Amino acid sequence: MNKLRLLLLLLFLKLGTVFGQQFIARQGQVTFFSYATVEDIEAKNNQVLSILDFDKKEIAASMLMRAFVFKKNLMHEHFNESYIESDLYPKATFEGFLLEGLENAGPQVQFIKGKVTIHGITKEIEIKTTIQKTNDRYTMSGEFNLTVKDFNIKIPPILSNNIAKVVLVKFNFQYEPYENE
Amino acid sequence: MSLMKMNKIVYILAAIAFFPFTSKGQNLLDKLNNEFPDKPIYEMATFKTTRLGLGHSVETRKKGALEISWYNRYWNRPYGETQFFLADEVNMRFGLDYALSNNFAIGVGYSTWDEVTDGYLKYKFLKQTKNKKGNIVSMVALQTLSMTKNDISTGLYGGNPDVTNYSFTTQLLIARKFNPKFSAQISPFFISRSNGSMNVEDPKNQYGLGFGARYKVGGHVSIVSEYFSVFNPLKSVKTYNPFMIGVNWELSHLMLQFQMTNARTFAEDSFITQTANNFNFHDGNFHFGFNATFVLHTNKNKL
Repeated sequence: MNKLRLLLLLLFLKLGTVFGQQFIARQGQVTFFSYATVEDIEAKNNQVLSILDFDKKEIAASMLMRAFVFKKNLMHEHFNESYIESDLYPKATFEGFLLEGLENAGPQVQFIKGKVTIHGITKEIEIKTTIQKTNDRYTMSGEFNLTVKDFNIKIPPILSNNIAKVVLVKFNFQYEPYENE
Repeated sequence: MSLMKMNKIVYILAAIAFFPFTSKGQNLLDKLNNEFPDKPIYEMATFKTTRLGLGHSVETRKKGALEISWYNRYWNRPYGETQFFLADEVNMRFGLDYALSNNFAIGVGYSTWDEVTDGYLKYKFLKQTKNKKGNIVSMVALQTLSMTKNDISTGLYGGNPDVTNYSFTTQLLIARKFNPKFSAQISPFFISRSNGSMNVEDPKNQYGLGFGARYKVGGHVSIVSEYFSVFNPLKSVKTYNPFMIGVNWELSHLMLQFQMTNARTFAEDSFITQTANNFNFHDGNFHFGFNATFVLHTNKNKL
């Protein structure tokens, strides 16, 4: 009787991790590109956090705007100080869910629907992504466009040719099992 | 197996089935918030320019940044030949500033009107942190050197054109960004000269306190003001403390400064202690300042 309890307890713990399995990416990459007449701007963030819950088909991502690296340091300052106002809105976040369940085999295209919050403004967005499973890890990548104006980011008219109206965002996350507590 | 045992197993299996749903009630984003590394975050852009207006700010550019600057002061003569186009007189300073590291900068410049060559070393040794723990201010040590053979501009030195007059300004800049819009700076300074004034009553070394502040009125525009108080002013010449109010405007790589001031010169030792007119709108006293600084990145980050 006691042995059976112990066995079931072990089974319970084991199942608990399998059922509620969550995966985390701690060094996710998000890159954005602004192609404009005067100059092309590219910035990369290598410290994006993301968490995936296959059980509930939920996904979330969060990043510090400060962590974006630009080719020119002055752009980093202007991005944070004059455009994205990272003192007031330090993070950009995404919260959404996978439209379909995940199959076990090979790379597959999935659609994610959710809400992206940048500069304090939240927008609905649908993202096409490729998910691949290798052993117990997942890789997720994709790209989408964001309209700068949607997020109330002010660009002075005199600099309107320096910054694109629509910015291309690319992402690449490597998920590993999330150890809970 | 008895029925009781069966029941127990059912209960436990039920618990297994429901456990994940009850314990994972925590929002995924909340979970991520706990995952951010607990590193100090430093304030950036306490001021946007390395000069507040007249003097230096606590700002240093990032490593490899070369600043090419062109500073101007325009004013009218109170009497004599006063019919020049726009302004009777102008003083221009051409400068180069280079950031050897993110915290250490050097610079040189030449001013046309008083024929002063100046240079400086600037080191940021304390950075204000955004997190609760940490530094409440940023601090910068500044050492400048200026030299001139011109003894006409101020009449301060003896009339020997063969002697170069060196002046040294040591300044400690202490600044705090109070909120995203408002920053203030206080800067004790000490000025010494290689050759004293020709008047023995005048102090050879002078000291005092500088004050500066900026208020951001938009993403790219801020209002700035600066004032220097000299504790032991010159005695042989009547001098006034320099004051400036102006607008700083940054356009991508170009920083523009428009200012109203009574300061005519650019070297610290000169404008702080030898400004011979007060701040008002009379000809000879009112100076319009226009500074343009272009930032060039000599090294670029790899992405």
